[in-house]
Amino acid sequence: MTDMETKELAGIISGIKRMEIHDGSGIRTTVFFKGCSLKCVWCHNPESISYLPSLAFFREKCVQCGICRSVCTYDAIRFDASDERIDRTKCALCMECASHCPATALKAFGEKYTVDGLYEKVIEDLPFFESTGGGVTLSGGECLTQPGFAVAFAKKLFENGISADVDTCGAVPRETFERILPYTDTFLYDVKAVDPDVHQRCTGRSNEQILENLRFLDEAGAKIEVRYPLVVGWNDGECEKIAELLSGLSSVTGVKVLRYHNLAASRYEALGMENTLPEPKTTDEDVERARGVFERHGIRTFR
Amino acid sequence: MGCGTEPGKRNEMTETKEQLVAWLRDHTDAGNAPDTLEADCRNAVYLMDHAEISVTEANTFFIRITLGAAARTPIELRFAAFQDEAAKEGFGPGIRRRAYTGYYDFGHTATEWETVISLGVSGLRNRLSERLSLPGNDKKSIRFYTETLKVFDAAFSFMLRAADLFENEGKTEAAAGLRALTLRAPETLFEALQTVLVYYSLQQYFDGTILRTLGRPDRYLYPFYKKEDPEKAFSLLKAFMTEIDSIRADANMPIALGGSDVSGNDLFNDLSFALLKAYQESPNAHIKLHILWTKQTPDRILFEAFRGIRDGANSIVFMNDRRVIEAVEYVGASKEDATDYHVVGCYECGAAGEVTSSCTSRVNLPKVIEATLNDGCDMETGERIGLPVTGTFDTFEAFYEEFRKQLFYFVQCAARITDLRERHYAALHTAPVLSAVYRSSVEAGRDIYVDHAAKYNNSSLNAVGLATAVDSLAAIRKLVYEDRTLTVPDLAEILKNDWAGEETLRLTVKNRFPKFGNGDETVDRIAQRIVNDLAEAVDGRPNAKGGVYRLGLFSIDWRWRFGEFAAASADGRHKGEPLSQNTSAVFGMDREGATAHLRSVASLDTVKTPNGTIVDIDLHSSAVEGEAGLQALVGALKTYFELGGFAVHYNVLNTETLRDAKAHPEDYPNLQVRLCGWNVLFNTLSEKEKDEFIRRSEKG
Repeated sequence: MTDMETKELAGIISGIKRMEIHDGSGIRTTVFFKGCSLKCVWCHNPESISYLPSLAFFREKCVQCGICRSVCTYDAIRFDASDERIDRTKCALCMECASHCPATALKAFGEKYTVDGLYEKVIEDLPFFESTGGGVTLSGGECLTQPGFAVAFAKKLFENGISADVDTCGAVPRETFERILPYTDTFLYDVKAVDPDVHQRCTGRSNEQILENLRFLDEAGAKIEVRYPLVVGWNDGECEKIAELLSGLSSVTGVKVLRYHNLAASRYEALGMENTLPEPKTTDEDVERARGVFERHGIRTFR
Repeated sequence: MGCGTEPGKRNEMTETKEQLVAWLRDHTDAGNAPDTLEADCRNAVYLMDHAEISVTEANTFFIRITLGAAARTPIELRFAAFQDEAAKEGFGPGIRRRAYTGYYDFGHTATEWETVISLGVSGLRNRLSERLSLPGNDKKSIRFYTETLKVFDAAFSFMLRAADLFENEGKTEAAAGLRALTLRAPETLFEALQTVLVYYSLQQYFDGTILRTLGRPDRYLYPFYKKEDPEKAFSLLKAFMTEIDSIRADANMPIALGGSDVSGNDLFNDLSFALLKAYQESPNAHIKLHILWTKQTPDRILFEAFRGIRDGANSIVFMNDRRVIEAVEYVGASKEDATDYHVVGCYECGAAGEVTSSCTSRVNLPKVIEATLNDGCDMETGERIGLPVTGTFDTFEAFYEEFRKQLFYFVQCAARITDLRERHYAALHTAPVLSAVYRSSVEAGRDIYVDHAAKYNNSSLNAVGLATAVDSLAAIRKLVYEDRTLTVPDLAEILKNDWAGEETLRLTVKNRFPKFGNGDETVDRIAQRIVNDLAEAVDGRPNAKGGVYRLGLFSIDWRWRFGEFAAASADGRHKGEPLSQNTSAVFGMDREGATAHLRSVASLDTVKTPNGTIVDIDLHSSAVEGEAGLQALVGALKTYFELGGFAVHYNVLNTETLRDAKAHPEDYPNLQVRLCGWNVLFNTLSEKEKDEFIRRSEKG
């Protein structure tokens, strides 16, 4: 890729979070890419699923000022008896309303960044990265579904000596991993299920490509930290199988068992999306039990 | 009389309360300083003879003191003669509307603990009597030594009375220690700790000067600690923490650990660790610990400190040692005295040899903007609190220039009001117990307050509501000069009406405009500019005591009281709402997270704020869990200090815990949060304050 091409690349980013400690080592800035190749029932970042910009309406913040209606040129704002403010059949996602809403009740997810623009934004915390061995984590959504931008951004970080971690679900072409591998510090790699049917039921897709890519990264000697989101009633039966799979791999540094919660419910509603979140039945004890399974297979677990 | 008395034996006749009060009335005469000294010494003697004493479970070293009916001559009575001076000079409306304030302050000071420990109470007395016997004393110094010696003799009687009580309670070690200490300096760790408690109590109860720091015990106790068996030493330190906590000092008692020497060596030692551990394992709601960080400070102590903070069982302030020293030097202290600084209150630092008078002089920054927008008048009452506006508001620069003029005027008013108080120190208050320790005071035979005998006699001015003022100026710049949505008179009218009918505009400004505390340079530069202008107006300004003023930027609980009297502000704040806290972003406006918040605050030139700046970082417990969380906290702290930050404290809040604590206070007797300048038990907060903490925790 030439410099010129890199300059013109645009990424769609749904959010940036600083002082993150759960997405890799040290203090990190996590960049949430928009768009995902899976559709997990338990997804806690629903605003990052669609590749298009998303418009959310947080009803409890609305002060009924009507500015949204006055700036909307698509007649997509409703003030009627219904709970919805946005007529999503008419909305063209121009985001005029969100950019004017005084109460931030209407909020747009999906801001365009150039590689340099995003880089300038994330290196503001450089002194904190340097003192803690931190850096930047590309997350999402699935960051690798914007392969050109993700690779260019990771490369930029790499060339400037900043650690870039890639938080991925693995459901992207192998070629993308080949391209981003040289610039990646650690892959935070989700393994949700080994059984293809269970995986299909949980995420809407088979896991064939995901497990192949995992093996590819393993053979390539990449640094991999596996994430296992534990959702009791959905994939808790997979723990033993995942442990067996991982014990056959050599580049996995360990596993982090993520406890499922349903705190994202209000965001599904705000985004006008069907809430697919399962009942939050996973307990701390379930997480401890799962960790025990991995430990018994000789796999280190992280908290 | 005093000089001939053997320590521990005192022949003076005790008088009745009525006799004393009558005598004090006759001898408390404005302008007659020697009378003030004599009256205070006599009062102290009376109090020592009549104070009720008891031994509770918490008393290992010294007794519990109840002044009860004995009481002390209130400084306010003496001050009544001068009470209306400020009003006569026309400051009434400004003071009433809390645009600026000034008062006297006989707290916020440190004794020279090294001297107290090395000489002991008896050695301090001997030093005075030696001085008295030297030739060449003038009348004033003879009076100082003689009167102060009477107080010391009364103190010995008091200590013996306490010893008898301990004896009766079967606590023989304490009894023996107290008797020995009337004759010689402390020799063991037990006696050293006992000396600290005795001297603290003598100052607190009988000098009547509040909030004296315990200084740096990891230095002055170290020789005794080294000689003691570590296990015994640790149990003594725990008993010590328990006992000082039981005193329930107003606004908590400060203790500092670490720091550096003049060669720049870090001073953390094994006693620092033991003290931190003892603090964490004892009741500590009334103690505040300052960790003086240097580049060589071992990470281990930071980890230990954060572990405690995260558990919510205590509250610790971290201070950047290098930066504090530079700031104290900046207002005239020698390098040696600056290096040996003491933290005398929440965040205020004073040089060694300095009676630091802080927290009295204050300027309400949002009120400065209110005056700028309203021709120098209060928006609510129309009273004149500032200067008539003479300039134009054609550009933002012109607006800022007008703001700056008002700012300098407000500082001048606050300082003048303070001077009107402080120039009467000679008639108001003496501190014989404290003066007897200060080398400069003892050598001259003069009291530190009446005669300003300390080496440095500084005053401090705090600017309150920095972020509210910065966000307001940033909003004015955008609304009036960039977007041209409004004119200055339009905005003034809106604010006078407390945003009535302008809710949309108010929300837009509040939610969508750039704010201080997000690492946004365009806003942070306004903050830097205000701080530099304040420093120009405040730092080095002569006070009425032969010293200078020093700038501080913290608000403590004044953010509520100053906010009550401030009109609506251009940042979207309603009339009467609290101002921003300390040097932190307006609550909820630190949208970019803690690291950005720390970067903004670190961008201020805090060398110019020797009286202290502090940022409050609220973090949700889930954001800092595990070892990774601790590492992040330590890393963020060090980075902030490397960037030039002055001080920081953390609240690790858990929404569920706070909610439950509000509903079931009985289940959370020890839950502490950092209120403003000190930590408080959550249960003692008002419902309104509890709700604010719950909202703050939700943000994380």
